[in-house]
Parts: sequence; structure tokens; C-alpha cells
Amino acid sequence: MAAEDAAPPAVAAPTRRLDIIGRRNIFFGISLLIIIPGIVSMVANGFRLGIDFAGGNEFFLAFQERPTQQQVEAAVAQEGVNGLVQQTGNGTFIVRTSQMTPSARDRFKTDLEKRVGPIDEANSRDDEVGATIAGETVRSAALSIVAASTLILLYLAFRFRKVQGGWRSGFQFGGSALLALLHDVFLLCGIFSILGTVFKLRIGEIDSLFLTAVLTVVGFSVHDTIVVFDRIRENMIVSSRLTFEQVVNLSIMQTAARSIITSFTVVLVLLSLLLFGGDTLKGFALALLIGIVSGAYSSIFNATPLLVVWRRLQPVRR
Amino acid sequence: MQFVTSGLVRAIVVILLAFSLFVDGAGYVYRVVNHYPLTGPVPGLPPNFSGWQLYMHYGLDLRGGTDIQLQLAGFPPGQDRQSVQQRFIEVIQKRVNALGVSEPTVQPGGGGNHDRVEVQLPGVSTSEAVKLLGQKGKLVITKWVPDSSITAAPYPGFKPEITKMTSDMLTSASAGLNPQTGIGWVVNFQFNSEGAGIFNQLTTDAYNVCQSQGTGAAQCHVTNWLDLTPDDIAQWNTRGPDLSRSVDQGGHLISDPSIPNGPIPNGQGYIEGNFSQDSAKNLAILFNSGSIPVDFTVLSSYEVGASLGATSIKLSVAAALLGLLVVIVFMVAFYRLPGLLASLALLCYAGVVLAVFKMVPVTLTLAGLAGFILSVGMAVDANVLIFERFKEEMRAGRTIGAAVDAAVRRAWPAIRDSNTSTLITSLVLIFAAPIQVKGFAITLAIGVVISLVSAIIITHNMLAIVLNFGWARSGGLLGVARGRA
Repeated sequence: MAAEDAAPPAVAAPTRRLDIIGRRNIFFGISLLIIIPGIVSMVANGFRLGIDFAGGNEFFLAFQERPTQQQVEAAVAQEGVNGLVQQTGNGTFIVRTSQMTPSARDRFKTDLEKRVGPIDEANSRDDEVGATIAGETVRSAALSIVAASTLILLYLAFRFRKVQGGWRSGFQFGGSALLALLHDVFLLCGIFSILGTVFKLRIGEIDSLFLTAVLTVVGFSVHDTIVVFDRIRENMIVSSRLTFEQVVNLSIMQTAARSIITSFTVVLVLLSLLLFGGDTLKGFALALLIGIVSGAYSSIFNATPLLVVWRRLQPVRR
Repeated sequence: MQFVTSGLVRAIVVILLAFSLFVDGAGYVYRVVNHYPLTGPVPGLPPNFSGWQLYMHYGLDLRGGTDIQLQLAGFPPGQDRQSVQQRFIEVIQKRVNALGVSEPTVQPGGGGNHDRVEVQLPGVSTSEAVKLLGQKGKLVITKWVPDSSITAAPYPGFKPEITKMTSDMLTSASAGLNPQTGIGWVVNFQFNSEGAGIFNQLTTDAYNVCQSQGTGAAQCHVTNWLDLTPDDIAQWNTRGPDLSRSVDQGGHLISDPSIPNGPIPNGQGYIEGNFSQDSAKNLAILFNSGSIPVDFTVLSSYEVGASLGATSIKLSVAAALLGLLVVIVFMVAFYRLPGLLASLALLCYAGVVLAVFKMVPVTLTLAGLAGFILSVGMAVDANVLIFERFKEEMRAGRTIGAAVDAAVRRAWPAIRDSNTSTLITSLVLIFAAPIQVKGFAITLAIGVVISLVSAIIITHNMLAIVLNFGWARSGGLLGVARGRA
């Protein structure tokens, strides 16, 4: 094993080099171009809230001619009210929708009667329902993300303290990874805010699944960044003749194949979910797709250039 | 690295895999042998066996459960209706949580009237749910007072009188085996000091009557009821016999013990009532969750299908499987033999993770599945990291065996650090985040820990074993430009 370690490291020069660090301002610009409108929209318009957060209407519908769940789902889908259809044991249906005015409710029922058949009014009713997720829930989820981010920062600082510059350098690595993470979260939330409030699309509605998507993106984003940073750490030790920028560029090239392949495989699954999956999951698939692509982008084009900028502003002795 | 590929580690891995497959598959073998459907509950196969799931349990969003609509009435005058509804929901939530149901939804309804609450519970039958949620759950303790107008059973000439003791004075209640005989289930209780004082007086009086008149006398008894009201007692001649039936038989009586052995001074005791383990447990849950501030009735109770819509879920599962298939095809096309091995390793990984889900046990919701799929992604990633590294090491001129070792060793820090970060996030979420996020965090944490082990040990061993064969050592199969022995 010892002889193995002494052998020349596997840093065969990549055949073609792209200078990502040199063009970093372009990449920062692209990110800001998406994030700034997103933040403006979040501050000015907030989000389009789904039934989980805002409450809505709930219909108990008994139809005289027992339709199948597919028939009812199809009819509700045509209404464009983000309806969720649940079949009950005795053949009635529970339909949950976003908030509707009383006249819209009546129109909704008449439309359903046209498409599915007459409603048995005696056994049907509707109700306004409140939120299942309180604002408190979102706040405590956000707080635990902050707590987790702080712990990750400390862990990365600890793991990267051995590269030149010690703990200060460790915090540069950890801090850059966290900034890239923030980038992904803001980008995802911003795009959904714009989709939901500016374009008024139903797919931009946020619900408990969106919360899950954000958490998933947090996990993937840090993961991606660490793979690149780990290569930088290794290359800093084995190729001390290169400048830091050259080391970073080399590391990006060496991990690019892995970053692209991994993200690509995840994107394949999500795309198939977005294109062929059920309606109720499309928003979730879209949120993950945006987050994963953003995570791959930010780890290569934001996190590492940020690290270089940070090291320039706060140099460590070599 | 020699240790990882040693026979001992291989044996442990094989045993673990076999055990996981047993946990995964035993329930299905039972179903196939007995010609039962492959999903859902079947006779003779309880949902759990000593805490382990015999089949995977799914949440409301994926599989459905029971929907109960509760209608609130008799709001206390002068109180804000919305806050009464809110307190009602808190009690209901306590009961549901005590039952160990994961990720229920409890939703306020009724618009401005605030007089409806909807509860959906996964994996609970309608009758169970009504038992748990359909009662106010108030423990009422009565003594018997003479009333010559009473002709009804159980004690003609006597009617119950409600004492000041209520379940609000209970500091705890729990189900347990009878502490004296060790046979049969009882509900243990402990009153606070106020309750203990009243209970001491009550049992002293009853004990004195028992001494003088024998245990058959009405006033020798201190009686426990569920939700008995003053209204009920006012019409005792007509209602008494019905009410005096046990709770299981539709009455309100929990137990009617005599006090022949002396007063109970410390407010501590137990209720015997021919309980089963379940009924004792339910009663303790009712007493512990506090009293409900309002009257209510069960408006409807249904079994309901998946809240995300059955069609939508079917489509999505098909789409996800299609996606996974494409990923496997891609891995094999791109990495050849190692890609195939990685796909095999992934199957092993999924088998182990599902077994752990059943043992924890985890109720799978969509959020939980997202956590699982994220961990699968990370497991794939660990393999990709190792294989990319393997190609590099081959290009750097190592032998195949040395390249495998070096690839695993050099990819390890990145795999370790990225997975540790994810583990940190999921642990924080498990302990600090609201309940809606926990399912995600738990499956992610389990997945990450197992993927860390599987990526290093299973993939490495598979590569090492396969590369013992000469035919496997060709550059074409390994996806590298040349192969050296």
C-alpha cells in the first residue's frame, strides 16, 4: 500500500481546458439575472399558496350514476381548480380545491354534472376548510435548515482545515458551499414565486411537497459542491506548482464528467416524472428539476469561482 | 483496503443481504402460498409483528386511510369559536399521536362557523378511528346516593351522583398488566393532590359502607364512567340500564368496583374492566389527551383512497420506474461491466433499505419516497465517483487491481464528506423539524447511512470478485482504452 501512495497521482492533464474561473463574472451574471427578479417577486408578490397553506374548498359528492375515479378526476382536471380527488369506501368522492367564491362553487358543481352525471344532492355537501400546514410549520422548517447549514459549515471547515491556510481556509470552503446552497434555494423559490404570481400558473402553487422539494435540493446542492471541493483539496496537495486558480480549473475539469453524469441521471428520472407522471406530482417534479439543475450549475460555476474570489480578498500564505 | 475485500466482510454482507431479503419477502411468500392479493391487509397477516411491519405501510397521500368528519356543537358561550376549535384540534392531535399514527391530517372546517373538523388517518380502520375520536373521553367518577324514585338496575333505590373528580385531575394514565395478579389488562391512574384528597374521602366512605353492609350494597361501590352527563342521571329510570352496560357494548360504564380493602389515600390505583390490551390502551390515551371543550358528533366516517389521487400515483410510479430503467441502461452503456455491477449493487441497496424501513418502522409517504430516491441518487453518485476515478487511475498507468483499490481509496473522502453533510441535515430535521418534514428526513438518513456502506463495500467487492476472471479484464468491458493484467 505504501508504494501505491508514493506512485504518481492520477492527474493526467485533460485534453481541452475551459477557463471557468476566468469567465466567472459571466456565470455570476447569469445567476443574478434569474435570482434578482425572483427575489423581487417573492418580496412584492409572495407565493401562490396551495390548499395546504391557504385552505380551500372541500366537496363531498355522491353521483347518481356511479362514475369511476378516473372519470371524476378527468372532469375535475378540466376545471383548472387544482382539484384533488379521493374516492371513499361507499362510492362517494371527496374533492379538494383552491378557494372558490360561492358562485364559482355552484358553477363547479354544474360543470361536473354535465361531464360526469347528476349529483345526488341529499348525500352531497361542501365545506370551506382551513390550512393543514400552519405558518409556524414553515418557520420551524426554515429554522432547522439554518441550523443544519451552520453545522455543515462547521463540518466542512473542520474537514478542509488541513489545506494551506488552516481553519480560515476551511471556512472559505464551507462558506462558498453555503453560498451556493443559498443560490439554489433562492433560485428555486424565486422561479416558483414568478410562475405562481406573475404568470399565474397552477404549477407554481406551493404546498407541502414544495417544502420537501426545497429540502431535497438542499441535500443535493451541498453534495455536488463537496465533490468538486474535495478534488481541489486533493490537487492542492499533489500539484503544489500550480496557482490556486489553475488547481481549481483543473479540479472542475476532472470532476465535470461525474457532475454531469450524476445530474443527468437524476434529470432523466425527473423528466420522465414531469412528462408522464400524474398531475398532482408535476409541480413537485418541476421544483426538483429546477433545483437539481441549479445545484449542478452552482457547484461548478458559482461555488468554485466564489472560493477563488474569497481567497483573493482574504489571502492565505502558501 | 485488504480488510474490505476479506472473506469475513463478504460473509457478513451476504448474511445481511439474505436477512434483508427475508424481511422484504416473507410477507409476499405468505401471500403467494395462500393465494392472497399482493398488497393491502390479508387475514392471518397482522400489520405488525413485534414492532416490525409485515408489509410496507403507506401514508394517506399514497394509499389512503380513514376520513372522519366531526361536527362541533354546544360551544361554550362567550368564548371565541375559532380558539375552541383550535383547542379541540389539539386534543384530537394528541390522541392520534398517542396511537402512533404517522402523518395524519387534522383540518379545521366549517368556514366562519368553525364547527367542523376533518381527520384523516392512514392505516386505521373506520371502526378503530371512531372508537378513538368519537368520544369526549372524559372519566366521570360517581358515588351512589339513595333516591326512592329509582327502580332501574343496577341498584334500585339508588342513583349515581357525579363527584368533582374528572380526568382533568389525572396526572397520568397508562395501560398495564394487573399489578396484583399479573393477568388481564388494567388502566393505571395517578391523581394530582386535589384529586387524591377527594378520592381518599370517596373511598373512605365506601369502605365504611362495605364494612357495615357488605360488598353487595350500592354505596360500597365507587363507579367509573366514560362521558356520563347530569342529563343522563336525571332520566336514570329510563336510561340507567342502557348506560350501565360496558363501553364495549355501547354503554358508558367502565367499571363498578367495591372498596372492601380500605380507603385509597394516595390518589393512585388502577381500573379493572375486562379490558383487552387495545381497549386499555385506548382508554389511557383518551384520559391522557385532556378533555374536549365542546360537544361533538361524528358526521361521517369513510375509508378513503390516496389523497394524491390513485390515477396520478399509478402514472407517477410508472414514470419513475421508466426513469430508473433509463438510468440503468445509461449506466451500463457508459460504464459497461462496472455499470452493470453498480446497478446490481443498487438493487441490493434498495433491498436493504426497504427492510430497514419495515423494521424501524417507517410509514411511507411521498415525502418519504423523495428522501429514499434522493438517497438512491447519492448511492449512484458514489458509484459514479469510484468508476470515474477508476478510469483515471487506468489512464495513469496502473494495473487493474491497483486501479480498483486506488479508485475506491481516492473517491472515499468526497463520498464521506458529501454524505456526512446530508446526514447532518437529515438528523437536524428529524429532531427539530415539524412532523410534515420528518418522514423525509428519516428515510433520507437511513438511505444515506446504508449507501455509504454499500458504495464502498458492495461495489468494491463486486469489482474485485469479477476482476478475478480473465474475461472481465478486457478494456472494452471495463470502458477504458486498454486493459492490463
